[in-house]
Amino acid sequence: MIERAIRRMSLRRLTACVLILFLIATVATGISILAANRVTVARLVDQRIEAIAELVLERDAGQAMVPTSEIRARIATLSGARDTGDVGLLLLDPAGRALGGNITLRRPLPLGRSDLRERDGIIGLSHGRALVREAGAGRRLVVVAETEPFDSYRATRTRIYLIGFGSIILIVFGGIIAFSLLVSRRIGDQRRTVEAIIAGNIRHRVPVTGSDDEFDRQAAAFNGMLDRIGELMEGLRGVSNDIAHDLRTPLARLRGQVARIAQEAHDPVQAERASAALAQCDTLLAMFAALLRIAEIEAGHRQAGFAPIDLAELVEETATMMIPVAEEAGQRLGVTATARPTAFVGDRQLLIQALVNLIGNAIKYGAPGGAIRVALDGAAGGVTLSVADDGPGIPPEQRARALRRFGRLDSSRGQAGHGLGLPLVAAITRLHRGRLVLGDAEPGLRVSLIMPSR
Amino acid sequence: MSLHLILVEDDEDYAQGLAADLKAMGHRVERAGDGRQALAALDREQYDAVILDRMMPRLDGLSVVETLRARGITVPVIMLTALSMASDKVDGLEAGADDYVVKPVAAEELVARIHAVMRGRRWMVSETDTIRAGDIVVSPTSFRAWRGGQPITLANLELKLLAELARHAGEVLTRAMLIERVWGYDFEPETNIVDVYIRRLRMKLTEQGGADPIETVRGIGYSLNP
Repeated sequence: MIERAIRRMSLRRLTACVLILFLIATVATGISILAANRVTVARLVDQRIEAIAELVLERDAGQAMVPTSEIRARIATLSGARDTGDVGLLLLDPAGRALGGNITLRRPLPLGRSDLRERDGIIGLSHGRALVREAGAGRRLVVVAETEPFDSYRATRTRIYLIGFGSIILIVFGGIIAFSLLVSRRIGDQRRTVEAIIAGNIRHRVPVTGSDDEFDRQAAAFNGMLDRIGELMEGLRGVSNDIAHDLRTPLARLRGQVARIAQEAHDPVQAERASAALAQCDTLLAMFAALLRIAEIEAGHRQAGFAPIDLAELVEETATMMIPVAEEAGQRLGVTATARPTAFVGDRQLLIQALVNLIGNAIKYGAPGGAIRVALDGAAGGVTLSVADDGPGIPPEQRARALRRFGRLDSSRGQAGHGLGLPLVAAITRLHRGRLVLGDAEPGLRVSLIMPSR
Repeated sequence: MSLHLILVEDDEDYAQGLAADLKAMGHRVERAGDGRQALAALDREQYDAVILDRMMPRLDGLSVVETLRARGITVPVIMLTALSMASDKVDGLEAGADDYVVKPVAAEELVARIHAVMRGRRWMVSETDTIRAGDIVVSPTSFRAWRGGQPITLANLELKLLAELARHAGEVLTRAMLIERVWGYDFEPETNIVDVYIRRLRMKLTEQGGADPIETVRGIGYSLNP
């Protein structure tokens, strides 16, 4: 139960909880010690003044009560003695007037034990205890004594407490915060590595400090796993690149030969057939080009060529370039750039390719006589580049498949093309640390590239 | 025009296929398996152009072209490269290659590029000069074009396209070459951008009469023949 609660807690919350509990416990301990100390001292002082009162009011054998003169004499003796010189004594008549003693009172004190404060105005006493006893015939004896062994004892005690408990709190707070910072920094190293890998930098590894602690061992295991994944990916990529490359070579030859047949054909039917074969060759070649381009992007080398780009200009220029293509297909193409990101860094060629690809798709799948809308809008910390058509769109349940390589769709949209266009755009978006979102343009498809600026 | 070519390529299968295609187009092709053989052959004989693979054993393509240029041999060199090194295009051109293409490339594409390089060599037209091709005049610097003395209103890209075609009038420019040189893209779009722009250009060039000066070479590209 508790374990589950702790597991679910964030490091920051756990730290805060521990610190708050520790603070409460420390303060409670301090207060308890202070209170116990005060009670003990008061009890000791009470015992002392009680003993002194006994001495003053002690009756000789057969005496009904001690006469006032005798009490005065005893008070004088006690005041002069070394052990009891600090005790205040006062004898009052039934009306509360002083009959003798070495102190004066500002207020009548109740019978029995009570506390004394500085405002009671007894010279040399800031905090103390008082005892009032009946002395016979309506007289009362007041005995007072200090609870502080020396001047400014309370202030000193408070200072000792503050320094003592304060330093404990500071050390523990500092320690726990340092510990949690260390943990979050080392975990942060791992998180940054994972993020870098997701962004396409697969050569990134978790830094190892060389101290061979738990984090280092964790990092080494993690790096080992990444190396292994890298090897597997390298192998797979090598195989698929080899296949793509090996198939492209004979295909390029085939295309050349078909092109020659097309040129030499005098019969229009023959020429038409040759042209159709040529178009099929081109589709196949485009498929391999897209596959190899995705491989090139995912290898991450192109990030080295990232440069600042005026994205709004790029979008406007590319969309404008595509207007004649859209018009020829009987569609309208509009472009709006509400955002002019100034800090965008990326690969110009790849971004143009992504946009040309998306607009090409919109022309291919949009409604006849429809409108295609290209927009560049500002988003939190980045930009959203979107291309919307008003064709049949892609149903939500098929969107994930549309982004997969060769993820052909059941609907009309899946009939043409080779199923690599959107995955290529997605790879380009990922290279720019962004994500591709397929949405509904009501009606039609809206493809949005959400990318951060740097 | 039949060309005398040397194909320097260590990949036996690829070289054989490419050489066969080039021969089928009526060109004379000799082969070299590595950089040293290529340099030896170029010492012995004169070629119209060198088709040079970049990655080879013994002496790689970059070193071969550097050596050639250092010896003062100005033969056109088209460098072939694997896709993984496509981004190293600048290195190849700086070393002295005239063009740089990603393998695999069709023989037609190669020949078109060789012709473009040879033509460029002969005329040494700078990009800023006014270009004349028959009754077509293009001035890229002032963004203007004329046909038969009549001004033609062209959009920026259309003008660049016409200028490129006019600069290589009489030769075939492939779609890949046009995308690379006019659009400046390092990828081949799957949309028929080139065809659409060629159609628009044709329309504007023939608006005031006159024959269509742009010839479609089926499966290869376009050629301006005014």
